[in-house]
Amino acid sequence: MEDQEILAKFRDPASRNVAFNQLVRKYQRQVYWHVRKMVIGHDDADDLTQDVFIKVWNHLEGFRQDASLYTWIYRIATNECLSWLKSKRRKFLLPLNDITAELGAQLEADESLAGDEIELKLQKAILTLPDKQRLVFNLRYYDEMPYEQMAEVTGTSVGALKASYHHAVKKVEAFVTAA
Amino acid sequence: MNTPFNLDEHRRSRPRPTLAPPPERYFEQLPMRMMQRVQPAPTATAPGWGWLAALTAPVRTALASTVVLAGFAAAFWLTPAAPIVASSDALARVPQEQLLSYLLASDQRITLTDLAEVPGTAHATPASTYWQASPDELRELLDQQSADEGYL
Repeated sequence: MEDQEILAKFRDPASRNVAFNQLVRKYQRQVYWHVRKMVIGHDDADDLTQDVFIKVWNHLEGFRQDASLYTWIYRIATNECLSWLKSKRRKFLLPLNDITAELGAQLEADESLAGDEIELKLQKAILTLPDKQRLVFNLRYYDEMPYEQMAEVTGTSVGALKASYHHAVKKVEAFVTAA
Repeated sequence: MNTPFNLDEHRRSRPRPTLAPPPERYFEQLPMRMMQRVQPAPTATAPGWGWLAALTAPVRTALASTVVLAGFAAAFWLTPAAPIVASSDALARVPQEQLLSYLLASDQRITLTDLAEVPGTAHATPASTYWQASPDELRELLDQQSADEGYL
């Protein structure tokens, strides 16, 4: 089902549930993995993914289509991730290194990374990036999102995003080389 | 010296990093779980009281005030009035011996003389009565009271 059709059906109370169900089916994998890359653990990713779709349900009626539905949902997911990381740090009074260590411990416990030393180093290197730079790195490196779309998701200029990604790549390469 | 790591030459695990996949059937169940979460929970209203929920807030407030006032009024009317017993009748029913014992045993230092009632002067002021009587007359009148009755 196309986004326009989903939106039209959502506006009609009689077909709202069907439209939302279709929306979740269409975007759940992208939202889940976008969140999962930021919070690493499945349980946290599951909670945040559900929170993202609850926000979509609550605000979709007022969605003005200034951006595509895909970009709008990504923006909600991005904000949820950044808020979650910020609140986790504030709640436990954790400095940056401690939350990185906590997420790094979850990486080491991940069965899929066992035995793949380079991949584990790469993931740990990505974790050393500040949250927003990590987000930019993920959107560009894994999702291959165009810079223009990234600018809509993050509310940052294309030039700043290119610079941020360039620096992120250098930091990651330096970390893996030194590790 | 370590070999410099080049991200472009690294085998890319796109579109996601090599993290463990979510539990089996997770993406099949998530839409259903989301639908359950966005549906409004049924309001648990006790049967028979549903009409209260249909009333507007001001009407409910007025109704509650009326019920409270009616409760107070009912309590006032249904409470039995306290029996009123004439104090003089109650005193009359107490035997004279008990009265004397009580008064003479109290700390007020009441003597038989204080309790004496001179016939014909019960309603006159004591001062005016006693000033017109001689000591002998008073003694005679007091002697007429039974001492035995007083101490029994």
